[in-house]
Amino acid sequence: MANSRIRRLVFIERWREYVIYYTFFGIFLFFSIFLFNKGFLSVGNILNIARQTAMISIMAIGMTFVLSAEEIDLSFGSVVALSAIIAALVLRWTDSTILSFLAGISCGIFIGFLNGIFVAKIGIPSFLITLGMSGIVTGVARWISRLQSIAVNNNTFTFLFGSGDVGIIPILFLWTLLIGCVGHFLLKKTAFGRKVLATGGNREAALYSGINVSNIKLSVLMINGALASLAGILYTGRLHGARYTLGENDLLIVIASVIIGGTSLFGGKGTVVGSIVGAIIMGMLNNGLILFGFTVDWQLISRGIIIIIAVTLTLGNKK
Amino acid sequence: MSEGAWENAISAQKINIGFNGVPILKNVDFSLRRGEVHAVVGSNGAGKSTLMKILCGVYHPQGGAIRFFNNPIDLTSPGVASKAGLEMVFQELSLIPTLTVAQNVFLKHHPYRRGPFIDDRRANNEAAKLLEIVGVGTSTAPTDIVEELSSGQRQVVEIVKALASNPKIIILDEPTASLSVAEIEGVFKVIRNLKERDISVIYITHYLQDLFKICDRVTVLRDGEVAMNCPIGETSLAKIVTAMVGDTRKVKKQKKEAQAFASAKTLLEVNNLSTKKVKNISFKVQQGEIVGIAGLLGSGRSELFDALYGIDHLHGGEILVNGKQLQLHNSSAAIDAGVALVPENRRTRGLIVDFSVTENIILSILDRLTKRFLLNKAAMSEHVGGMIKNLDIKTQGGNQKVRFLSGGNQQKIVVAKCLSTKSRLLLLDDPTFGVDIHAKGEIMAIIKEFVSRGNGAIFVSSEFNEIIEFCDTIYIMKQGKISTRLDNSITEDQLLYQVQ
Repeated sequence: MANSRIRRLVFIERWREYVIYYTFFGIFLFFSIFLFNKGFLSVGNILNIARQTAMISIMAIGMTFVLSAEEIDLSFGSVVALSAIIAALVLRWTDSTILSFLAGISCGIFIGFLNGIFVAKIGIPSFLITLGMSGIVTGVARWISRLQSIAVNNNTFTFLFGSGDVGIIPILFLWTLLIGCVGHFLLKKTAFGRKVLATGGNREAALYSGINVSNIKLSVLMINGALASLAGILYTGRLHGARYTLGENDLLIVIASVIIGGTSLFGGKGTVVGSIVGAIIMGMLNNGLILFGFTVDWQLISRGIIIIIAVTLTLGNKK
Repeated sequence: MSEGAWENAISAQKINIGFNGVPILKNVDFSLRRGEVHAVVGSNGAGKSTLMKILCGVYHPQGGAIRFFNNPIDLTSPGVASKAGLEMVFQELSLIPTLTVAQNVFLKHHPYRRGPFIDDRRANNEAAKLLEIVGVGTSTAPTDIVEELSSGQRQVVEIVKALASNPKIIILDEPTASLSVAEIEGVFKVIRNLKERDISVIYITHYLQDLFKICDRVTVLRDGEVAMNCPIGETSLAKIVTAMVGDTRKVKKQKKEAQAFASAKTLLEVNNLSTKKVKNISFKVQQGEIVGIAGLLGSGRSELFDALYGIDHLHGGEILVNGKQLQLHNSSAAIDAGVALVPENRRTRGLIVDFSVTENIILSILDRLTKRFLLNKAAMSEHVGGMIKNLDIKTQGGNQKVRFLSGGNQQKIVVAKCLSTKSRLLLLDDPTFGVDIHAKGEIMAIIKEFVSRGNGAIFVSSEFNEIIEFCDTIYIMKQGKISTRLDNSITEDQLLYQVQ
């Protein structure tokens, strides 16, 4: 009797692990059939989805680490904007792609560090600190940009960070691939990744096993800050300019991608690959809804509904 | 019969209950007289909690009859017992820390209302009356927030909360376990006041000395049977201990092998160690030695380990491992110094239950298993395979989740995790708790083998017969201090006597 219960639990777990892939193929099949005439499957459209998905994927990878350690970061949307603006300003002043990149990334790492100090060393819940931080960072972004767009005309920068293609492959796709591989190996194959999952799985047991849990929390928030900055820089390269509104609508989509991908909101379980697939599902939905001719309000409504259905399928079954 | 004047508040006859075919209570007779304080004592697993759960209506006995105030009663649910006038005050505090005393006291019924609203003023007045009844009216106010109270005051509020439903019988489960001496006196005063108001009290405790201060009668349970039932004046601590332990010759004393470590070096030396919870602890552990710490719940035994393992900060004193003084800022420093801990409560502190067997065993040695940034899979499975084999862990393989394993196998995994660190000194906090008898033997054999290789161990347990069986040297711990050093020729009842 106990055995069949265990088997049932194992089955539910397997189902949760793979539901993301069924969902992916389901939606892909649906759009392929019903949007065939509108060119959903055309090379141009597929590459377009790849471009649109890149930034969400990269942010989702950072969030995977944060959620795996049982923390959350609500400030990353604002970090996207501020890093983009700082990178664009530094580029304007120095015309150096490297300096601009470093300045943008440092901004995110620094904000992640501040978040981490409050969470790991002082013991404030990450939910509150990052929510407060998001207000500060948004304010700073609006203030230093004076609510203006900052245009970027450096071709090296725009090629490397967003607009370029290598052959027919968008450079944004290569960025996703790079960060995805590094993230996957870091989380699944290194001591650090194991410590992140252990911290999220059971903080006390991790502590008693000799894991420095506060350093782990600090690290994941810094990683997330760095990846939010990278997303900001990629937005800047792709749009040829930075603006304080960048990233402001990404919060829901990124967290939904990660949860649908199979990472636990309650720590201890995380998958970078799942998060990327989750982000692609979000991109595909966006693209499909536009091709169906939905207006923006209906896109928002349908996307909300689909996210709720997907998250219910992933997290439900609480009985 | 002078006892004829008494009316029995509870009389239970020939109570039988068992789980999965294993009898837990066998023909237990229990009677509680009106207005008396009646102690129920026994070792862990003797059947105390089971008997109480039957009286509360949580479990239904498989045989026997229960009467409350001479009326037969069928205790089908906790609600029935409560209606009949019985309330239990649980050991695990059930108060909501952010609410006031009065809000907590009336949490269940909210009896005072004005229309749809709770009448806070009346609730406060009524709570004040109850606090007055138990004699703490001056020290605790109904409007005090519970989290600002001391643990002693909270325990009293817990009793007051039970009083709110106007019971005639109250069961107190280990009410003094984590209290200071002064606070314990306070609880005793409350119990005396209850008695004066004709409320009958069942008092469960491990602190046998207390029986003589507060109780009228004692029932001793041993292995599901009544081993003693008599007025407290007609017995003594020694007699109670003997009744609890039974035939002490049952404890097999394994003859220590000739000291293989004639020139044994001192592995651990603790001098005047103090933290917030323990005071002036000094002792030594030699190579090849298992040191036992015998103490009751709340004696500071787990807190001593927290200090040795770098979790709690030292207020004074020093820890020397192999003659070198340690500066422990965190647990990883302790592991680096060669000290590993099998913590109390394996499911919350020892294991990540949703991780696999492999992932748990290597939790403390992740850095050692890293080769060129990546975890070395081959070394990992070799190490874990070896551990599973050596410790005979029953699992479908390294990938199985720990959640699905038995208590004994889970505990072996915690031990495996600690042994993996190649520590020289193993701290074991109640490692056999909730582990079946077979696995217990295996775990102790693993520890003996570990120690025989020139290592050392400190062993804390609530099972005193285990301490005597496995330890070479025994220290008695009381109220955060180590009081006595004994060798293992002591018997279980002597040890039980000493820790009181």
